[in-house]
Amino acid sequence: MLGDIASVIVDGALISAVYALIAIGFTMVFGVGGVLNLAHGALIMAGAYTYLSLVSDSILASVTLHPIVAFPLTIVIVGLISYGLYVVLVRTIEENVVITFLATIVVAIAFTELVTLVFHAQPYQYSVVPGVLQVQALGTRILYVELAAFVASWVAMGLLWYYVTKTDSGRSIRATSMSERGAMLTGVDVSGVRARTWLVAGGLAGIAGVFLGGIGAAEPTMWLEPLALAFIIVVVGGIGSIKGSVAAAYIVGYLQTATGQFLGQSVRGIMSLVVLVVVLLVLPQGLYGTEFVHE
Amino acid sequence: MSDREQTGQGVGRLVGRAESVLRDNILAQGAGVIGAVGQPAERLLWPVAERYNRRLGERFGEVTGLQLLLLVVALGGLVTAPLWGPDYLRPLTLGAVWAIFAMGWDIQSGYTGYISFGHSALSGAAGYTTGLLTLHLSPELPLFVTVPLSILATTALGLAIAVPSLRLRGPYFSLVTFVTVLLFYRLTKALSHWTNGLRGIRVDVFTYDLTLQYYMVVVPMLAVAATLTYVGRSDVGTVLIAIRENEDAVSAAGLDPTKFKLWSFVLSAVPMGIGGVLLAHVNAGVDPQTFVIVDNSIQMIAMAVIGGMSSILGPLGGAFLFVGLRDVFLVGLGEELRWLALWLLVLLVLVFARDGLFRLLWRALGALGGDRR
Repeated sequence: MLGDIASVIVDGALISAVYALIAIGFTMVFGVGGVLNLAHGALIMAGAYTYLSLVSDSILASVTLHPIVAFPLTIVIVGLISYGLYVVLVRTIEENVVITFLATIVVAIAFTELVTLVFHAQPYQYSVVPGVLQVQALGTRILYVELAAFVASWVAMGLLWYYVTKTDSGRSIRATSMSERGAMLTGVDVSGVRARTWLVAGGLAGIAGVFLGGIGAAEPTMWLEPLALAFIIVVVGGIGSIKGSVAAAYIVGYLQTATGQFLGQSVRGIMSLVVLVVVLLVLPQGLYGTEFVHE
Repeated sequence: MSDREQTGQGVGRLVGRAESVLRDNILAQGAGVIGAVGQPAERLLWPVAERYNRRLGERFGEVTGLQLLLLVVALGGLVTAPLWGPDYLRPLTLGAVWAIFAMGWDIQSGYTGYISFGHSALSGAAGYTTGLLTLHLSPELPLFVTVPLSILATTALGLAIAVPSLRLRGPYFSLVTFVTVLLFYRLTKALSHWTNGLRGIRVDVFTYDLTLQYYMVVVPMLAVAATLTYVGRSDVGTVLIAIRENEDAVSAAGLDPTKFKLWSFVLSAVPMGIGGVLLAHVNAGVDPQTFVIVDNSIQMIAMAVIGGMSSILGPLGGAFLFVGLRDVFLVGLGEELRWLALWLLVLLVLVFARDGLFRLLWRALGALGGDRR
């Protein structure tokens, strides 16, 4: 029992950090551009498959990079994919919310088919950091990959925090999310800010993708779950709020881990959906969000 | 501005250029040719259209001669399909089922702008009601028991989704509907001892006579099309579109938008129920992969988008086009490439022809009638 509780505490903390990464990118894009990017899950999948292609010799025989090189490269590539998605597609249609909404989900589904075409439907397993750490005192065990995910995600969040609070380029992102008109009046290039937000969100999704694929497996339908998670976390935390996303990621992450541990894995996914519905009914604006509801 | 952003704008400009070349040269030329043929035809047909307009125009919308011709040809083609396309009865039957879904989605999401990603859950509810009734109660249950019960169950589920979620505005509504599908999908697995999990439940087909089966689907489809076109053209349809354009204005006019949105959801759930029952019998079974998964909801949306959202008949045409491409014309491409091509088509329509292909056609035909209307 003590071991169970300890493993819930540890596992919850580890997986929640990745969830936070997923949700932050999603909520930033919404906060700055008012665009709900339903292709966000596809970017996470892009992260997993890019990393897989770079490190494994079974996909591209000529390319086999060391993880230390492949990891940052993956982040850059997925960031650029996200940036390209914005510039080529979303920028031309973003004034119409409904069209953007539909276009991004179609991109996500099309991406599934593309991945199936190139990599086939079967799941790929790959290791990011091999090995297991036994914690004898608590009677629990931690995969090194989970630990690495935890560290990488908090480093990324720290860098992001530094970027949006200490640098002008990052501060203009925050300014735009607070008031687009105000930002424009103080000389912020709003269109550039949006594009940069997509770049950052893509990079974060790339990190999350590498680790989600590493903890589970890379497969063509792996975007659905993270997208639903991003939804749930962002709604619980309040749409557009980074702080809310981190808090909600931990709530959802712990809840999932605890229900998975004590009630069984099949209940695990359903639990967060139930939480979502309850939050929507009781606290529709989320923990830190702005009002988005009417009676 | 960074180099990257300049490249981005370059790409944007290139797309814009391609678009204008397409518009100015190819489409304009085409329009010239069509005009030369179309205008005399229009003059010939106009008296017939006028008679139609006087009798039914108020209820189903006024048409020009060529538009009426299109409708008559399409209707004639559907009714006589077993004569001219006996080999295509299966895709046509499926096209008709999906047309019901696309139209059902359209009266709710297309008209009000509240995009639902959850409509496959509604069709699934109908399919599963039929399936569960036949599996656990009696396989001998007659259709006049299972069909109304399935539609009723769909409507009930529709209300259960709509009542809480329609209090929410904008994206939240879509999020909840999306999650509903995931929940439904998980439940079919979690309740495997009832639903047989991924294997699904076997349901008897209506009949092994493909022609008869085709008519058993097409007739309800035409009824749904007529009803929803009538509703869309009525005051209710106007209010629903007004909700999409400016919900506050609707409230200010003294109408309760939430009440109308609920009605649109019910109007949408009933066709989803009809379509769900039909699909269960046409497919000889119900399982989460062909009924519930999110992709199915997106397919309904894709059909409505291709045809033209908020026009009922547009989604109907879009469904036949989509299923035709999917099951007949693009089959040679292989599973993944075929889907990739389809989704690309949907994306292109979303970006370059937001109002949909069939509405473009409809307008082009209408334009040939000049300003007689």
